[in-house]
Amino acid sequence: MTAAWYVALITFKEGIKGRVIFGIFIIALLLFAATTVVTTLFMRDIVKVAVDLSLSTVSFAGLLTLFFIGVNLFSKDLDKRTIYMVISRPISRPEYLIGKFMGIVFLSLLVVVFLGILSSVPVIMSKRFYYYPEAKFDWGIYCVAVIYIFIKLAVISAVITFFASFTSNSFITFILSLVAYIIGQSTEGVRLLLASQVEKIEVSPVLSYVVDIAYYVFPNISAFDLKTQAAHGLSINYSYAFWTALYAIFYITIAIVIGALIFRRREFP
Amino acid sequence: MMQSLFIAVLIIIIAIIGNFFAISRVSSERNLLREKEGTGLILPSSVYKVIALEFKGIFSDIMFSRAMTYYGGKLIRNEKPTEKEWGWIYRNMDAATDLDHYFLDPYYFGAMTLAWDANKVKESNILLEKAFRYRDWDWTIPFYLGFNHFYFLQDNEKAAYYLMEGAKRPGGSGGLLPTLAARLSYQGKKTENAIIFLQEMLKKTDDKNVRWIYERRLAALKAILFLEGAAAAYQNRFKARPDNLDGLIAKGIISELPQDPYGGKFYMDKDGLIKTTSEMR
Repeated sequence: MTAAWYVALITFKEGIKGRVIFGIFIIALLLFAATTVVTTLFMRDIVKVAVDLSLSTVSFAGLLTLFFIGVNLFSKDLDKRTIYMVISRPISRPEYLIGKFMGIVFLSLLVVVFLGILSSVPVIMSKRFYYYPEAKFDWGIYCVAVIYIFIKLAVISAVITFFASFTSNSFITFILSLVAYIIGQSTEGVRLLLASQVEKIEVSPVLSYVVDIAYYVFPNISAFDLKTQAAHGLSINYSYAFWTALYAIFYITIAIVIGALIFRRREFP
Repeated sequence: MMQSLFIAVLIIIIAIIGNFFAISRVSSERNLLREKEGTGLILPSSVYKVIALEFKGIFSDIMFSRAMTYYGGKLIRNEKPTEKEWGWIYRNMDAATDLDHYFLDPYYFGAMTLAWDANKVKESNILLEKAFRYRDWDWTIPFYLGFNHFYFLQDNEKAAYYLMEGAKRPGGSGGLLPTLAARLSYQGKKTENAIIFLQEMLKKTDDKNVRWIYERRLAALKAILFLEGAAAAYQNRFKARPDNLDGLIAKGIISELPQDPYGGKFYMDKDGLIKTTSEMR
């Protein structure tokens, strides 16, 4: 497993060496600055708006990191043919894949920790200047929401790793991962929509079936979204936190193991 | 060489001037277009929930602020929103609070403008009812609901119900709400409810001044309840309403009139309701 750690470290270093990550940090900083201005347009629930924007910025920056840096870190070895040098070393292919996965997870951890801490600045400012007594807010829940942003990014990293294990082109990996993210984010809502049938649309059983399959195949990413809870200081059950974290671990394991199996049999051009 | 550079610079200068001219026309044309466009379409909130992905909070913020800005623009131009526009504002607030059930601003802004400016108390109450369900810690929501029922709908019974609910919430038991609720209850022939409610509130209050406010109101309500009971007994026995409260003493149902802690005198109005000259003030 030390070989995997080594790959992880190289991947991480490669990721922070690029200029893209600084671009992402600058975008995030601009969004934080914008937050403090935008919140003044609201009436009473100003802390809520600040939390919305701050946490969304952290999440958005994490997604940008994965989709624009993470995806490329996988394909770089293939594009530049450096993969031959790696696989000729005493390192198994699954170890290589797991190492790559861990590398981009570290990268997203760095983004979440750094921006998570910075994101508290607009929230602190809005709390200081426009505190409304009937608004609830709790730093503990805010931290939990930030941690769950990281868990979500780890799940998406696993999805990217899975797709990268068999695609030969970074653009295809990017598109597939993006589609998986969008589906994973919306299946729960679509399922609820079909179940409630409030809009009086005739739903064919085939469609419900397809949505159900999508719900189990793709990760339910909306389960990791605790921004509303953080914005309104609504408590989160321990069982909710436990089961969603466990769900993430199982999903990551499945995606990585299947990815490793495919990657082992893969032939390089 | 020099000639081609000169031509390039000339083209750039002409294009910049043209650009300035065009952009100013574009902004005025856009303004005209926006006025004609009016309010724009609102999709069902279940659709927004799906397309907003994980950014539902921001979607909700945007929906709220665009409706508020539209309304603000109308105010600045000294125009009144039309029926259709009020409907649009209401649907925006409804969708914004579907995306984030706990977001106070759309509830507050929607409920206030719809009830006061648009005379749409029903819609205002629908928004507040939703807020009442979700913001279950916030006493101000039932307070506004109570006010709408009392002031716009003249439904004291419902108003008292909401004020009582508000008083159960943290921060709502500080004097105003319970007293108001008890008062409305009394006028809505719910004296007993008001007494039970005030007794409950007394248990939770340590503050001496607040206790005094409650105790005085409670004593007055108990006296009224006592007189109501006596009037009912009179009605039972003589199959008629007493002409006044002294009739109750004359027929031996009560020995004397209770004291009004507010310093007034109890009397029976023409509808048979027990009231006091102090009006409990």
